[in-house]
Amino acid sequence: MNWPTIKLIFRRELRDQLRDRRTLFTVAILPMLLYPLMGMAMMQVAQFMRESPSRVWIVGEEKLPASPPLIVSGKFNPTFGSAESQLIELISSTAGDGHFESLIKSATSSAGDSSSVEEILRLEMQKRKMDLAIFIPNPIEIPERPDSLIESEANNPQSSPATQVFVLTDSAIDKSRIASERVNRILNQWSKEFSKETLVANEIPTSMIQGVVFTTGDVANKTGKQAAAWSKILPFIIMIWSLTGAFYPAIDLCAGEKERGTFETLLSSPAARSEIAFGKLLTVMTFSMATSFLNLLSMGFTGIFVLTKLGNGMGAGGALPIGIPPLASIGWLLLALIPISALFSAVALAAAAFARSSKEGQYYLVPLLMISMPLMMIPMLPSAELDFGTSLIPVSGLMLLLRSLIEANYTDCLKYAAPVCAINLGCCWLAVRWVIHQFNSETVLFRASERFGIGAWIKHIMRERRSLPSLGSAVLCGVVILVAKFFIGFAVTAPQNFGQFAFQTVIILVATIFIPSVMMALFLTRNPRKSLRLNGCKITMAAAAVLAAIFLNPAFTWLTGFIMHIYPPSGDILMLQEAVSRILGSAPGLWAIILVFALAPAVFEEIAFRGFILSGFQSIQGKWKPILLTSLMFGLAHGIIQQTLITFVIGLVLGLIAIQTKSILPCILFHLTHNSLAVLLSQANRTVVEQSPVLRQYLYSTDGQNYQYATFPAILMTVVGVMLIIWFLQLDTKPSNRSVAYGQVPNLN
Amino acid sequence: MIHVRKLKKTYQDIQSGQFTALAGISFDAMPGQIYGLLGPNGAGKTTALRILSTVLKPTEGSAVVNGFNVTQQPEQVRRQIGFVSCNTAIYDRMTSWELVQYFGQLYGMPLDRLHSKMNALFDRFQMNEIRDVLCSKMSTGMKQKVSIVRAMIHNPPVLIFDEATSGLDILVAREVLKTVEQLRDQGKCIVFSSHIMSEVKRLCDRVAIMNRGVILAEGTPAHLAEKHQEDDMEELFYQLISRSEAQLEADKNAAMVTHNLTSPLAN
Repeated sequence: MNWPTIKLIFRRELRDQLRDRRTLFTVAILPMLLYPLMGMAMMQVAQFMRESPSRVWIVGEEKLPASPPLIVSGKFNPTFGSAESQLIELISSTAGDGHFESLIKSATSSAGDSSSVEEILRLEMQKRKMDLAIFIPNPIEIPERPDSLIESEANNPQSSPATQVFVLTDSAIDKSRIASERVNRILNQWSKEFSKETLVANEIPTSMIQGVVFTTGDVANKTGKQAAAWSKILPFIIMIWSLTGAFYPAIDLCAGEKERGTFETLLSSPAARSEIAFGKLLTVMTFSMATSFLNLLSMGFTGIFVLTKLGNGMGAGGALPIGIPPLASIGWLLLALIPISALFSAVALAAAAFARSSKEGQYYLVPLLMISMPLMMIPMLPSAELDFGTSLIPVSGLMLLLRSLIEANYTDCLKYAAPVCAINLGCCWLAVRWVIHQFNSETVLFRASERFGIGAWIKHIMRERRSLPSLGSAVLCGVVILVAKFFIGFAVTAPQNFGQFAFQTVIILVATIFIPSVMMALFLTRNPRKSLRLNGCKITMAAAAVLAAIFLNPAFTWLTGFIMHIYPPSGDILMLQEAVSRILGSAPGLWAIILVFALAPAVFEEIAFRGFILSGFQSIQGKWKPILLTSLMFGLAHGIIQQTLITFVIGLVLGLIAIQTKSILPCILFHLTHNSLAVLLSQANRTVVEQSPVLRQYLYSTDGQNYQYATFPAILMTVVGVMLIIWFLQLDTKPSNRSVAYGQVPNLN
Repeated sequence: MIHVRKLKKTYQDIQSGQFTALAGISFDAMPGQIYGLLGPNGAGKTTALRILSTVLKPTEGSAVVNGFNVTQQPEQVRRQIGFVSCNTAIYDRMTSWELVQYFGQLYGMPLDRLHSKMNALFDRFQMNEIRDVLCSKMSTGMKQKVSIVRAMIHNPPVLIFDEATSGLDILVAREVLKTVEQLRDQGKCIVFSSHIMSEVKRLCDRVAIMNRGVILAEGTPAHLAEKHQEDDMEELFYQLISRSEAQLEADKNAAMVTHNLTSPLAN
């Protein structure tokens, strides 16, 4: 690649985009205008909300004690909350008021039935359009001290019931909730004062009812508090805006150029496709970063201004926990913006390159947003923390790392920076490769507009059937399996015994995995037997597969333990495991468990994954890409994250065996042996192990229930297992006739 | 200069299965010659020119431009050609000066040489008035002028014009044709595709009449007139295309009859 050419293309595209009013509006004008306008609107609304008084209806005001006075001159006593008192419009119903009279009558007749009083008040509140109602049915007086308090309590616990006051709100209405907060603050203060006066009147020291005083403190300093608040907001803002900022330039630079006819001119110039791709990628990245930065800046300034105003308005008690973000956080954000923008720009550019027009480009970018959003939302969850597991999730891991950096948790950052960077840079690299592939693909660049009809499509599929499955049918088969497994999960009920469990397991395997792959092989290919890789194999290959499964079992067991350590199973999974263990207890014998857990999955899954799907993925050049993609599908089909990771790794070995032996028979044997050993290990008990001198050498248990491989034999076995895999790698694999069946993928420079 | 041998290009089409855009065409174009590709829409002219400009890869066959193979040495081929398409294909948000300079730089021209060349071309095509005007504000004729200057900036030995006068008014079209003649006189090898008979008759030294990816007739206009006993180029074109279409229809019917006769149901 020639850097001056990339720079030249980048500079032209940058200038071109800067002259585009739509792009400029999205990148610069929108953030500069939108946030100040939003801030102004927010302040107006907040002002309106603050100044809107609450309408409080009080019934039985005259029954309140003279001291301490709750109501002064038709308003709540400002001593108990001056701000709240100002914001409450008090509407009083006293003796002589018709409603009050009827209410008292109803309340008296219902003999203290609070539900009937509440119902009457609710209807009255609705009728009078009140936010809150206070009903005092009986006079409130300072009680007199009995001669002997202890004696009185002991003889008649009901002698001095607490004075009842009804406070009724409607929590479904915001105004009523606000009124409740205001009134409660006043009533609590008044109630405390009333209790104090009661004690004073009865000559009891007020210190007697103080009880235990809890003194709370916050060890966080001001900067720490601000960092904690900003660490959740800022990463999300830069992520969402860097994605949005990449959208329009990507569409304009690819789909837009195709539409205007300038793309062909550029392609016929000496610039290589990869140079064009990189020039455009740098432009999209620049706009993505600029959008994110300008939005952050504008939002920050507006936010600080608005929050300061709101904070001042709230007085001393309303100080906001958020201020100007720490300076270091800005630095970290700017640093993180580079990989984030690179990733989103590459993905947006590749999607846009596939589109024939700007309109079509927008259709492709919406799903992109839908996929990215959950990854951005994960770190917003309160329980989300940066650990090894979360660091491996693209985008989410980076957001969590950024959060830790802003919070100055440098120990965690150092620990997980490597996996986060590796995963995200890996994703960046894949996305850039995808862009270059799109720019090299003739079918993508010159896709003609096709009128889609289901009849023509089916005719096309039948007409264009090849002897082996295509890449598209492999992906389709994988997707059908995933969707079928998802929906069948809703249909099955919890099995009660082993018979039901076995029946359900086999039916699910047949319906969701076996039938889709076999049907596709029959209808989408000319040679179903070859497509499903139903070929024979040499006895040495079959034996080597069984031995490889045995010798690699300690390594897979260790891997399982490691993954369980990184991603501890959730409570639901543990409950499920317990339920399965219980059901297995009712199995007629070990053979039945092996039949269900080992043989059935080995046959059905191998036919689908190493048979049809791997054959389809083999239309991609090379050996490892098809294996990797098939293993990914195989892992995803297992649903649970822990199983997905383990089966992905096992899938790599199975894929290699399938390609090297050109048969699924060794794969079935490997799968069967591996699953059988897992069953045997889980069913191993102290009696069996202790009685066998061989097993005692190889297995140990710390709790007498779960057995593990002893370290030294495990290492030895793994070495032998790896040697067997090397033996498979060295098998003679002559190039298949796939290149003839598929033709070469055009590679344009 | 350009040697095309058994050039074939097929596409996958959801409606009709495999679609053959070029069915193995062969021709040669020499320096100081205008080679015309004449044919109706869908004849395969643009596909052939896109292969020559390395934008598309041929399915079979070979094409050599000024000694460089389009599949094996695409970058060198791109340095030998200037491509002018019917839709002007220039960047709306650039001025004519910026656009020409950009392409000159893409061809690796040093700035001083590039600017003197640009000044000469802008003078020759009387474009100095529009050098700082954004292309979006130009008329179609002006845009096509910019497009031609853009294609000529690196002084390529081969120029490809794909229906370059399509959509232009008569005055601008004449100017374009005049330019093409001047370029031929300078010794350039020019491939000129069109479906306008008068242009082809006036300009081209050799002509290939194409239909459905096949060259129906090839030679100098005088040779074609003599061979087919038809002086009127338009009439000759019409006769050849009609004959080709009739032959294709007859072949299709014959294939259908053969299929019906050999079908098991026929017995």
